[in-house]
Amino acid sequence: MNIVKYIVLVLAVVSLVSCKKFLDVEPVDSVTDDQTIVDKTSAETATRGLYRALAGDGYYGLTFQAIGYLSGDNVQWTGSQSIVQQFITHNVRADNAYIASAWGAIYATINRANHIIAKVPEVTDPLFTQNLKNQLTGEAYFVRALAYFDLARTWGGVQLALTPTNSASDKNGIERSSPAETYAQVLSDLTTAEQLLPETTNRYRATRKTVWALRARFHLYQSEWALAETYASRLLGDAANYQLVKPYSAFFANNVVATPESIFELSYSATYTSGHRNQWQPPANNGTRQWAPNDTFIALVNDASIGGNRNAMVAKTSQGLWYGNLYYRSPATDPAYILRIAEQYLIRAEARAQQKKLTEALSDLNAVRSRAGLTASTAATQEEILLAIENERRIEFALEPHRWFDLVRTKRADDVLGVTDTNKWVLPFPASEVLIDKSLEQNFGY
Amino acid sequence: MTKALSVWLSLALLGPFITFSQEDAEKRDSLKGAKTNNIILFGRIIDDKTKAPLPGATIHIKGTTHEVSADDKGNFKFVTGQKIPSVFLVTYVGYQPREITINQAENIVITLHENNSQLNDVVVVGYGTQSRKNLISSITKVNAAEVKEIPVAGVDAQLQGKASGVQINSNTGVPGDGVFIRVRGATSINASNDPLYVIDGVFVNNTSLQTVSTGGRSTSPIADINPADIESIEVLKDANATAIYGARGANGVVIITTRRGNYNAAPRVNFKASTGWGKAPELWKLTSGPEHAEIVNEFYANSYQDAVAANDAAGMAKYRHLPFRALTDNPTATPAPRGLPEAQATYDRLHKLFRTARLQEYDLSLQGGSKTTKYYLGAGYTSQEAIIRPVDFDRASFKLNLDQKVNEKVQVGVSNSLYRSFRNQARAGDGPQGGLLQSALHTATYLPEVNADGTPARWAGFDNLDVLINNYDVNTISLRYIGNLYADADILPDLKFRTSWSLDYNHYNESEYWNNLTQLGASPTNGLATSIQTQNTTWINENTLQYRTNFFGGHGLGILVGNSIQSNSLRTDSLSGSGFPNNSFTSIASAATRSSSQKFTKGNLVSFFSRVDYNYSGKYFLEFSIRADGSSRFGKNNQFGYFPSVGAAWRIREENFLKEVNWLSDLKLRASVGLTGNQNGINNFAALGLWSGGAGYPDNTGGTDQPGTAPQQLGNADLKWEKTRQANIGADIGFLNGALTVEVNFYSKYTTDALLQLPIQAISGFNSYSTNMGEISNKGYEVSVFSHNIRRKDFSWTTSFNISGNVNKIEKLPTPVNYYNRDWVRLQEGHSLYSFWLYKQQYVDPQTGAAVFEDVTKDGAITVADRQILGSAIPAFFGGITNNLRYRQFDLGISFTYQYGNKIFNLNRFFGEGGGTRDGNRVILASQLSRWQKPGDITDVPRVTAYGNNYTLEQNSRFLEDGSFIKLNALTVGYSIPQRIVSKAHIQHVRLYFIGSNLLWIKKYTGPDPESNVTGSQNVQGLDLGTPPQPRVIQFGINVTL
Repeated sequence: MNIVKYIVLVLAVVSLVSCKKFLDVEPVDSVTDDQTIVDKTSAETATRGLYRALAGDGYYGLTFQAIGYLSGDNVQWTGSQSIVQQFITHNVRADNAYIASAWGAIYATINRANHIIAKVPEVTDPLFTQNLKNQLTGEAYFVRALAYFDLARTWGGVQLALTPTNSASDKNGIERSSPAETYAQVLSDLTTAEQLLPETTNRYRATRKTVWALRARFHLYQSEWALAETYASRLLGDAANYQLVKPYSAFFANNVVATPESIFELSYSATYTSGHRNQWQPPANNGTRQWAPNDTFIALVNDASIGGNRNAMVAKTSQGLWYGNLYYRSPATDPAYILRIAEQYLIRAEARAQQKKLTEALSDLNAVRSRAGLTASTAATQEEILLAIENERRIEFALEPHRWFDLVRTKRADDVLGVTDTNKWVLPFPASEVLIDKSLEQNFGY
Repeated sequence: MTKALSVWLSLALLGPFITFSQEDAEKRDSLKGAKTNNIILFGRIIDDKTKAPLPGATIHIKGTTHEVSADDKGNFKFVTGQKIPSVFLVTYVGYQPREITINQAENIVITLHENNSQLNDVVVVGYGTQSRKNLISSITKVNAAEVKEIPVAGVDAQLQGKASGVQINSNTGVPGDGVFIRVRGATSINASNDPLYVIDGVFVNNTSLQTVSTGGRSTSPIADINPADIESIEVLKDANATAIYGARGANGVVIITTRRGNYNAAPRVNFKASTGWGKAPELWKLTSGPEHAEIVNEFYANSYQDAVAANDAAGMAKYRHLPFRALTDNPTATPAPRGLPEAQATYDRLHKLFRTARLQEYDLSLQGGSKTTKYYLGAGYTSQEAIIRPVDFDRASFKLNLDQKVNEKVQVGVSNSLYRSFRNQARAGDGPQGGLLQSALHTATYLPEVNADGTPARWAGFDNLDVLINNYDVNTISLRYIGNLYADADILPDLKFRTSWSLDYNHYNESEYWNNLTQLGASPTNGLATSIQTQNTTWINENTLQYRTNFFGGHGLGILVGNSIQSNSLRTDSLSGSGFPNNSFTSIASAATRSSSQKFTKGNLVSFFSRVDYNYSGKYFLEFSIRADGSSRFGKNNQFGYFPSVGAAWRIREENFLKEVNWLSDLKLRASVGLTGNQNGINNFAALGLWSGGAGYPDNTGGTDQPGTAPQQLGNADLKWEKTRQANIGADIGFLNGALTVEVNFYSKYTTDALLQLPIQAISGFNSYSTNMGEISNKGYEVSVFSHNIRRKDFSWTTSFNISGNVNKIEKLPTPVNYYNRDWVRLQEGHSLYSFWLYKQQYVDPQTGAAVFEDVTKDGAITVADRQILGSAIPAFFGGITNNLRYRQFDLGISFTYQYGNKIFNLNRFFGEGGGTRDGNRVILASQLSRWQKPGDITDVPRVTAYGNNYTLEQNSRFLEDGSFIKLNALTVGYSIPQRIVSKAHIQHVRLYFIGSNLLWIKKYTGPDPESNVTGSQNVQGLDLGTPPQPRVIQFGINVTL
């Protein structure tokens, strides 16, 4: 039995020696985070990953956009998740799962942007030109600006995370900034992006023109009318690349993508699908119809003198149920529309009206109306024109996240929606975040 | 894989040849012996009471290697060179071994005494066996024969109520589905809480490989194993027993030993066949169409009233017209008229879905052995329909266990099991699409099954039930091999070496096809198919050296040292396709759009362990064990963990001062303390910071996806084992020569460094990361009593009873963590796991019908801050009581299980008692009818309205119910045909039996099954939503032994 003894001895020795190595198992499906942005290729893939985050389910892929359009006055809840109703009735509780999911998704996008902003300029790769570095970094600055802009208009002042997260304690102790500070960060990022990005046309990715379009909106929100007009004009003056497509449905119907209407839209594919269609489409079309256009809006959009050909955004089932039809594709590759040229018209119309340039304002407004197959607006006074623009925006962007933010920015949410408690003009921070992060104080009134 | 199998099989097949040559040698030896001056000893071996012969009993002459066994009449014959008097060592399975001095050579009659007392039970412990009387650990041995006929698919579910300290709940009536098992409470939040399963020395996978959605639940890998092959089941509970399993022992260990042959035993064929029928014991009570309409109308009328009171113009417009009004009444107003309530029809979908299920089982085995070879060959087939169409489960199994003595010192053996489980699966839980129960139960009863044009109607996002039943095509085939090859060698008389090589290989093949009639496959998808292949492979090598000796008279010492290496890999390849030409094309090759994906993960484990036990004259016992485990899963700084334990026992019965106390047959005190770990259930790469691919995006307008990367998780180089410290004290007491035995245990478990997916502030870009944070305690007691009430030749009656209680508490958790949609469940410091987080409805105001909620913060408003933890799904105590009676040829078994004090949240009621707020989108349960209607009504169902908190505050404690129950788990009646009749047909034994399961069910819960749970998510228990109840089954069977 000596042989057995030797076997035991050999086994013991072998297992001891190879033990360390045996325990060193590397993943196959992922890479460790010390080898992420190291050359041109990895910088490019990380930037694409940034856009995918922007297009993710929690952000423009569904939840953030849904918060925007549910909070307006065009949509009713028709499904099983009654937290949806909280947005419609403007009684959002801090434990609402939608706000936690949007909040998390927006900051995850910011973290990806922070990785690019911090690491891309440091990469040394002879194949990686300075122009491309600038472009990728500029895109990250743009996306971060958009993210903080969305945070600010939804929640007010928020915490500013500006560095990539490398460990669990990285973001401890960050106090929330004021709304002004948050918007200042947006402007700073936009300005940097504007310098870094090339002046090209790309409807899927950010360019200098995309920055201009967002700046137009940004200045509108800041009531900086002249700046809003200037930046909107830059896009509107580029008719070779951007124009209103006719009829209204031409920017989304028949599976089109990236029409000249679009300044910035997010792309989806069979692999990366959009979450919107499943919520809007009725069971007959394989959706859940979690929410649907409400009766008031159906009446408006079907009114030939108000909706015009924009009633293509709604449809009716054989059982007589109305549903939104902006997101309808299968597989769900409907783009998420972030910046459209129609918005630039209406931004400039509003900015001009505010500056008492009434004729020019009407001309911009009528451009949008004419595309919808409507006659020119009869509004005459500044007040009438501003109201006409507000109403036009309601229909034009009914299924996109504008109405609620518009009414809050013009301080008309109480008059129009009856939200008299101005504390409710911003949403509560997710209850779970307030619990985890001692530095985050809940919005007043929640 | 195939190579490994063929090597093993050829070894297994060679076994018998080795046997034959050995026997020939034996014959030659005895012939030679006859020629010399040897003496011939002969006689019989019989039972001391019944005087029946004991064929196969072996006689070994002490001090020699010579051994013979009795023939089928109990006769033996010895040719030996030994002189009388000599000492015989006589052994026989189930009998007390005897050492006797033989003074005569002829007509020796040896009587053996049957083992009645549990004391002489051999109990399987980690890496060995022990006699129960010498046991320090707390180990429950389950009588496999008693449970294996219970008509559920898996042995895990069969154990309910049989082992103290082990809580078992079958969460659904779907056969082969996952079972909830907690041994002495739950110790972890994010790591697994399931016990470790060891089958014939193989650490088997018990994590479901399911990837397709069945509405939250998943299959049980333990259901692959055929219970008919099982010889014994031991549940190891205290640290002294489990520390030898180190990093995987914290949740207890279930050791399953399968059947093997006996040396010197004649071949025995056993055949079993049974068939039965199952039915739902009760179903949900729904409103009829007119009742539903009435509630919805009342909801509109009340809401209109409230809108007027609140001066809400939109509300007034919305609720002005009752939906159920004459078709001619305001036909264009919204909502459109649907006809008066009394004109509504009622459609019964539930009884279309539920059926009488058919169950069948066939098992065939052959076992026996020669002097040097023993074998067990088993084959089985089980088929179990679920009580809902079209779900079913069937399993075919094949088993071959073989042991071979190579020579006096070396023995080798194999265990081989091959299983094929087939499941016709369906979504029997949450989720609107393809969900059977939701379609049948949650669709409003007034809604017709077909549209006016004759096409199947779909409502509220659910599929049409008839379409589902007739077109369901979700199948899973699990092909599994569990095997072990070992060699034992006696290096010295007291020193044994064992090496063992094991494999658990599971190929799990899932396929789904949703044709264009189902919602998932409907136009514009036009057919949706997935095919997923998962391969789980675990190989293990273990080597042990065991030394056992007695010295200085009375001192017994045992030493075990060993090492183990193990590697587990999991690989998943999936394909999916959509856009099929038509329903006749089901292969993904025919799909217009195809996509595929792949996953691979791997984890390695290296361990060293040792155990030393010592006893002095069977009175004082001391045991020490330690295991070191190194795992690739953990952070570079913490790969190794060390798990020691120590235990002691004092068998007071053996003391002189108790010598005269005859009524006390046993008295032993036990105590142990030790440390065990937990690493199961977390990701193999949880410690690493990772980026992943799969975040593609186009570069240019109109372009297609280009590859993208993104952060996936935060790393934690300090990630380490979760540690559970456990102390146990217990006593074993036997009375009246073992007629009554009592075992009592008290334990305290304290878990530190709990593996936790800790939420971190989302501004970091992550939701959580893996860390060791949090502490959980479990304290509890277990009492088991076994009594031989009557023990006569014709009549015997035994009773076993057990009760256990466990108090679970989260001692430390930095932030509360919520689970499941709507955050029904919350883990919070100071409360137990599985706690429900709700708004407490105190009463319904008899004057106004408004639900009054407890305003915890006393700020006059009901906000999130008023949400509180109201009870948990953990019972205060649970257990079982079993009576077995035998009268002549008849046997009767009555087995109850019970559970008390656990809460269950009735999500079916949550949806079905929505007070009309969901209108036609959900069914309304009959319980809604008792709503408040007029001042003075006393009820807990508030006035139906869209206003106020009555039906808008979702997490209402009204739906939290008492889940206590007692059920008649199994009633068995058997009849064995008398020996004199069957022996004429050369049959040893025939038993006919009947078994009834869940025949009686005493509960308070208003749903059909208080053990229901909608999800396999481990931190959610007692959430009942659309899972079928466990069936009531009656089954008839026959058992024949040749």
